[in-house]
Amino acid sequence: MITFIVRRLFATVFLLVVVSAITFAIFFLIPRLAGQNSYQLATEYVGRNPTRAAVLQVEAKLGLNAPVYLQYGRFLKAIVFGAHYNAGTSITYCPPPCFGYSFKNQQPVWPQMISDVPVTLSICIGAGVLWLVGGVAVGVLSALRRGTFFDRLSMGVALVGVSLPVFFTGLISLELFSYKWSIFPNVTYVGITSNPLLWARNLVLPWIVTAFLYAALYARLTRAGMLETMSEDYIRTARAKGLPERTVIVKHGLRAALTPIVTIFGMDLGLLLGGAILTEVTFSMHGLGEFTYLAIQNQDLPEILGVTMLAAFFIVIANLAVDVLYAVVDPRVRY
Amino acid sequence: MRRRRTIGLAAFGAAAALLLAACGGSSGSGSGSSSSSGSSTYGAAITSVVNPSTHKGGTLTFGNSSTPDSTDPGNTYYDYMWNFTRLYTMPLMTYKSCPGSCGLQVVPDLATGPGVVSDNGLTWTYHIQPNVKFEDGTTVTSEDVKYAVERTFDRSLFPLGPGYFPLLLAPQKPAYPGPYTDRAKNLMGLNAVQTPNPTTIVFHLAAPFADFNYVAAIPQTAPVPPAKDTGANYQLHPISTGPYKFQSYQLNKQLTLVPNTFWNPATDPNAKQLVSKVVMTMNMNANDIDNRLLAGDLDVDATGTGVQAAARAKILSSSSLKASSDDPIAGFTWFAALNTTVPPLNNLNCRMAIEYAANKTNYQTAYGGPVAGGAIATTLAPPNVVGQKAFDLYDALSKPNGDDAKAKAALKACGQPNGFTVGITYRSDRPKETAAAQALQASLAQVGIKASLHGFPTGTYDSNFAGVPKYESQHDLGISFYGWAADWPDGYGFFYYLVDGKAISPAGNTNLSMLNDPKVNSLLDQMASTNNATTRNSFTSQIDMQVMKDAAVLPGVYAKSLLYRSPNLTNVNVQDYYGMYNYAVLGVK
Repeated sequence: MITFIVRRLFATVFLLVVVSAITFAIFFLIPRLAGQNSYQLATEYVGRNPTRAAVLQVEAKLGLNAPVYLQYGRFLKAIVFGAHYNAGTSITYCPPPCFGYSFKNQQPVWPQMISDVPVTLSICIGAGVLWLVGGVAVGVLSALRRGTFFDRLSMGVALVGVSLPVFFTGLISLELFSYKWSIFPNVTYVGITSNPLLWARNLVLPWIVTAFLYAALYARLTRAGMLETMSEDYIRTARAKGLPERTVIVKHGLRAALTPIVTIFGMDLGLLLGGAILTEVTFSMHGLGEFTYLAIQNQDLPEILGVTMLAAFFIVIANLAVDVLYAVVDPRVRY
Repeated sequence: MRRRRTIGLAAFGAAAALLLAACGGSSGSGSGSSSSSGSSTYGAAITSVVNPSTHKGGTLTFGNSSTPDSTDPGNTYYDYMWNFTRLYTMPLMTYKSCPGSCGLQVVPDLATGPGVVSDNGLTWTYHIQPNVKFEDGTTVTSEDVKYAVERTFDRSLFPLGPGYFPLLLAPQKPAYPGPYTDRAKNLMGLNAVQTPNPTTIVFHLAAPFADFNYVAAIPQTAPVPPAKDTGANYQLHPISTGPYKFQSYQLNKQLTLVPNTFWNPATDPNAKQLVSKVVMTMNMNANDIDNRLLAGDLDVDATGTGVQAAARAKILSSSSLKASSDDPIAGFTWFAALNTTVPPLNNLNCRMAIEYAANKTNYQTAYGGPVAGGAIATTLAPPNVVGQKAFDLYDALSKPNGDDAKAKAALKACGQPNGFTVGITYRSDRPKETAAAQALQASLAQVGIKASLHGFPTGTYDSNFAGVPKYESQHDLGISFYGWAADWPDGYGFFYYLVDGKAISPAGNTNLSMLNDPKVNSLLDQMASTNNATTRNSFTSQIDMQVMKDAAVLPGVYAKSLLYRSPNLTNVNVQDYYGMYNYAVLGVK
């Protein structure tokens, strides 16, 4: 098992390097191949009506005049060893993993990015628990009561849930529960350590709205999985052996149906950790999603690069966790 | 040009937000009567101070749908930040805190009076108040102002603020590199600025520049103590001379200001210290800001660009909400530059054909209509530029749907009786601009001009596309959508970067018309060297007229924005210069 994990960890590092190279090439190499020179790139970060001298100063400061391979080498070196940046009056040290220096904010990317992680984690984990528990429960019940009013209603709601984007349900929930009835007034992120109750209260709407979208999907997947599993021969055998119905459903039916759900859950959670953009933007919460949105809006390449790497890291780690779980469940995977 | 952040965050939910507008409905039935006595009526804050009060205490909350370009007064160019920095800085000059056109007056702030001109307009001397203190209690000296100006020469660290000082001050050899690489004693090596004593600062210019008092009103002249300068990190805690100081700042998230105990109201009559805390929350959803404003959970929309479509519908359909709103002229003109070097637009008659053919009503509708979008523009300069005069060379008001007959006559005169092809550039991430480009394309087609649309992202519009003359000419892009507000409210501040031939640059160019008319250039030169204000301001309409005679721009609208005035606010008035509420004097009930 340890060998398996070590092997996967090496593969993870390799994957991250590949992701970094591709992302770097997209933002720094392809524009050059398309004819953009480093002077033009620097012009984007000088403000209006720049003099040539000003553009050259910025070009040199951001290191854009160096060959692309050298810039990439510096980027990788900063991730492993950290980097020093000239703040004018002093030299700022950015410890590893330093994802570069923001072109717009004149600050190292990593500290800004990492300060947003608790917000995204809070949204994702809370919403993840809700959608997993809620989605699976509704899916199981629907499968067991196939064709009943509950089944039709829950699957109908699930269809609506899958169809409605977060920014729609988010705005509706804010309009009703925050602005109109003030059940959750002033929804804004509060650190869990500073006020746990307020933290939870202000996250209720983002949790529900995010979970609603995913729970709907999970309910439908669970229902389909359960229906398939419950029609298997071994379920009939279990019943024929006289096992209680609860044992048949939970131990034999649900356990088998859950395997693909766990896989998807790992992937979804990893993706969401990379930035719950719509939820964060809708609820004005300063997480990685909003950081990403702003980085794109500002064309801040180091920030885009940094957040892409972090998102890739989360996805790869989530995949690793799923693979490890699979290895536990199915020993054949280890070999 | 001061820059406005466009609202992008709301784009995701535009449709949903509009739906929500219907949920809001009416919430009252105010009188809606007009008044100029400061009562809470529609537009009251444009001409009067609403809710005047000396009440102290409370928290003034700002919501910002974006982030400041920088909170460092030396590195900001956003107009709302120039307004906001007055809460924690005192530049040499500022704008008088009063409603109406009075708010366009430049008056002393840190200085004791306007600059004294000598040496044939080449030298400007300011005396600063002797008893102004930083937040740590140390006295502000002229060296602190000089140091602040010196910082602006380091464009690698402070690239975002305007570059007027390197442009206007007398050059030295070798070129002054900024204080961080300066080897002079005490890092005070900028020869063009002298400080003969702690209360006097002298600026030596390369050429006479009559508008220098306006330049001195840019936040870049707010003093910075060299010992407390932290370079690129200064934005995290600028040392205050204004009524408030930084308590905390989480970059791009939340800024909290508290009263500066060393601030003396007698030295700063254009600002007030009324609240016990000022909080600006950044990166909020624009619709969320509007809803919180309407719910009373937030006091001010920091960007001052007006409410979104959903809130606009709510406000305009409710007499009570409408009574708490204002729609001032924002100081912007939205227009399309007609490139005078791209064939066939290098022919005046071809440009005139576009002027006549354009449907101005559709242009206005694309920007949001007369209330939220603005009034149809007939000149390049908006009405809040001192010296602007109204005229209408191309019948934009008498024939707002376009004059096809005159357009066709102009086409014939330019040798293209069947029309021609031309490319239109616009910022594709700006829905209003996109709609305006489409509207123009449709109206030009009526007279046979086939226009192709070329949308580009805002972030690279100036640096890679519309602002690169070579790119424009290589791709036959003759029409470029743009918007402009003056750095200071006179003709020179508005026109120089837009229409002076000397302002044309190979990248990041803003003279998108590529206009290099000797008459315009000469008028601008004369304006720059004329000290008499009345004579100087008379050039504004002359320049405007010549630009329109050249048909170098197709004016769109004089931008307006619908601002919601929270009933919780006191001392609310629109400052004409900023085109938004005057942040320096606000209090809460």
